[in-house]
Amino acid sequence: MLPVTVLIDSLLYGNLITLMAIGLTLTYLTLKIPNFAHGDLAMVGVYSAYTVAVFLNINPYTLLPIAFLMGGLSALGTYILVYRPLFRKGASIVVMMVASIAVDIVIRSILQIYADIMSSTFNVYSRGFLFKDFSLNIYEVRLPGVLVISSLTVLAIIVSLYLFLSKTRFGIAMRAAIENPWLASSLGINVELVYGISWFIAGGITGLAGVFLPFRIPTNPDLGWLMLLSVFAASILGGLESLFGAIAGGYVVGFSEILGIYVLSSPPFGISTAYRPAIPFTILIITLLLAPRGITSVEWNKIATRLRRNV
Amino acid sequence: MFDIIRIVVDFAAFYAIYLMLSVSLELEYGETGISNFGKAMFFAAGAFTAGALVIRLAGPIAGLIISESELKLRSVYYSTLVSRYFAAHPGVALAILFLMLILGALFGAVLGYLASYPAIRLREDYLGITLIAASELVRVIGRNYDPLIGGTLGTAVPDPFAWLMGRQREIVVSTFMMIIALTSFIVTASLSRSPFGRLLRAVRDSETAAEALGKDVVKVRMKSLMIGSAIAGAAGVLYAFYMGFVHADDFNPIKTFIVWVMVIIGGSGNIWGAAIGTFVYLLIDRGIALVKHQFTLPFDINYVSYAVLGTLLVAVLMFRPEGLLPEKPLSTIPRKILKMRVKAQK
Repeated sequence: MLPVTVLIDSLLYGNLITLMAIGLTLTYLTLKIPNFAHGDLAMVGVYSAYTVAVFLNINPYTLLPIAFLMGGLSALGTYILVYRPLFRKGASIVVMMVASIAVDIVIRSILQIYADIMSSTFNVYSRGFLFKDFSLNIYEVRLPGVLVISSLTVLAIIVSLYLFLSKTRFGIAMRAAIENPWLASSLGINVELVYGISWFIAGGITGLAGVFLPFRIPTNPDLGWLMLLSVFAASILGGLESLFGAIAGGYVVGFSEILGIYVLSSPPFGISTAYRPAIPFTILIITLLLAPRGITSVEWNKIATRLRRNV
Repeated sequence: MFDIIRIVVDFAAFYAIYLMLSVSLELEYGETGISNFGKAMFFAAGAFTAGALVIRLAGPIAGLIISESELKLRSVYYSTLVSRYFAAHPGVALAILFLMLILGALFGAVLGYLASYPAIRLREDYLGITLIAASELVRVIGRNYDPLIGGTLGTAVPDPFAWLMGRQREIVVSTFMMIIALTSFIVTASLSRSPFGRLLRAVRDSETAAEALGKDVVKVRMKSLMIGSAIAGAAGVLYAFYMGFVHADDFNPIKTFIVWVMVIIGGSGNIWGAAIGTFVYLLIDRGIALVKHQFTLPFDINYVSYAVLGTLLVAVLMFRPEGLLPEKPLSTIPRKILKMRVKAQK
C-alpha cells in the first residue's frame, strides 16, 4: 500500500511543476523559443518573498503578490532587454536559445551574489532555508498547508487564465497574436504589447510557484535551474504549445517523479533515490523521440483501432 | 607576486583543452548547424574514461592489488602509488596516456553516434533540450553510480608525467597538451576547407538543396557529430590528467555554455574565430581568477565573472552577431588553376 504522504508529496510537486510549466508554455507560445532562464524566475519570486518575510517577519503566504510582481517584472525585463531586440533582428532559434542560457547564467549569478550579501552583511540564512508551514487535520490525514494553498492557487490560475483567454477582449487578442502574429497585427493588435503582457503573466505565475518551494525543498539560487528540466519535460509532454497540455504534463511528471522514485527505491528494485532527476530526463527524451508534439498530438483512436484489429 | 611562467603554462594548458572543445563545437554548429547543447556530456565521456580506467589498468601493471570495494574510498592512495610507478617507467606512463586519448576519443565518438539519432530527426530547439537533458542524465549517473568514477567522492587520476620534476614537468605537460590541441585544430581546419567542409555548410544552409543534389544529409550530420564528439572526448581525457581528479559535477551545463560563448564571441563559421574566442574567454576568466585574491568582497567573485560573461554574450549576439572574426567565403580552387583546367579541356 502506498503511504498517504507519498501521494500528498506527488500532488504538491505536481502543483509546482504545473505552475511553472504553464509559465514556460506561455512564453514558448509567443516567441517559439524554449526559455532556459525560466526556472530562475521562480527563484526571483522566492528570494523577493523571503527577503520581505525575514525583514518584516510575516507569513510567506501573504507575500504571494510580491513574488508574482517580481517574477513578472523580471520576465518582462528579459523580454524587453534581450528577446524582443533579438526577435526584431530576426535571430535564429539557436541564437535565441543561447541568449536565454546567457540570461539564465546572469540571473542566477545575481541571485548568488544577492544570497552571499544577505548572509555576509545581514547575517541572514540565505541558502538551504525552509519556510514554516501550518497543517490541517481532515479525517486523521494531516494535510500540509502548502498543499491546500498551492492546489487552490493552481485552480485559481487555471480558471482565471481560461476566463481571461476566452472571455476578455484582451485575452482573445492575445490568442490571435499567438496564432498568427502577422494577421493579428494587420487587424490593429499590438503584437509586441501582447507578447510583453504574456511574458509578465508567465513570469508572475512562475514567481508564485517559487514561493511554495521552500516549504518542502531547501532553497538555493540553483534550484530553479535544477527544476527546469522537469518543467521542460512537463511542457513537452503537453506539446509545448498547449496550456492544458502543460497542466496534464505537469501532473504526469510530478507524480512519476515522486511516486516513481518511491516505487523504484523500495525492496524489489532498491535503486538509490539520488537517481530521481533521471526520471524527468527519461520522460523528456522518450517523449521527444516517440511523440515530439506531445501526448495531445498522439492519435489514440488510431492506435486503439490498430490494436483491436490485431487482437 | 605573480609567477609569470606558471601563469603562462597554466593558461596554455587550459587553452589547449578549451580550444579542442570550441573547435569541435565550431565543426558541429558553425559548419553543420547542429545545436549541440550537450557538449559537457561528450567532454565528460573522455574524462570519465580516464577516471574509470587508468587506476584499474595501470594498477595491476604496477603490481598493485586493486580491490573494487575500496577503490571509491582509496582512489587518491592508489593514484599516488600508480604515479610513483609511472615516475620510474615513463614508457608505460606514455603508453597509458595515448591509450586513454584513443579510448576517450572513441567513447566520445560512440556517444556522438548515439546523439546523432535525435540530431537527425529533431528541430534545433527540441534537439537542444534533448541534449541538455542527456548531458544532465550522464552527470547524474556519474555522480551516483559509484563504480564508474567514485560517485559523489570523485576519483583521483595518476600523473602520467610523474617522471619529470617541477618546472620542467609543467612545461612539458602544457606543450604536450598544446600539440594535441593544435593537431585537432589543423585536422578540423583542413576538414572545413575540404569538399567535406563545403558539404557541411551546404547541409547547414539548405538541407533540401543538399538533398536535391543527392547528398545524404543524415550521414553528413552523423559524421560531423562523431568527429566533434571524438575531439571533445580527447579533450576530456586531457582535462582529467591535467586536473589529476575527476568529479561528475564538474561537467554541468555551464561547461557547455562556456564553449558556446567562445564560439559565438569568436565568430561561428570561422575556425579562427573559435581560436580567438577561446583566447578572449580565457583571458577574462583567468584574469578574474588572478585578481580575485587581491581584495575581499562580501560575495564570491566567480559569480561576477559568470554575470559578465553572460552579459557579454548577449551584447555580442545583439550588436555583432557574426562575432569577432566573421565567416569568410569558401576558399575554392584558385582562379589561375581553374583557367588552366579550362584550357586543358579545350
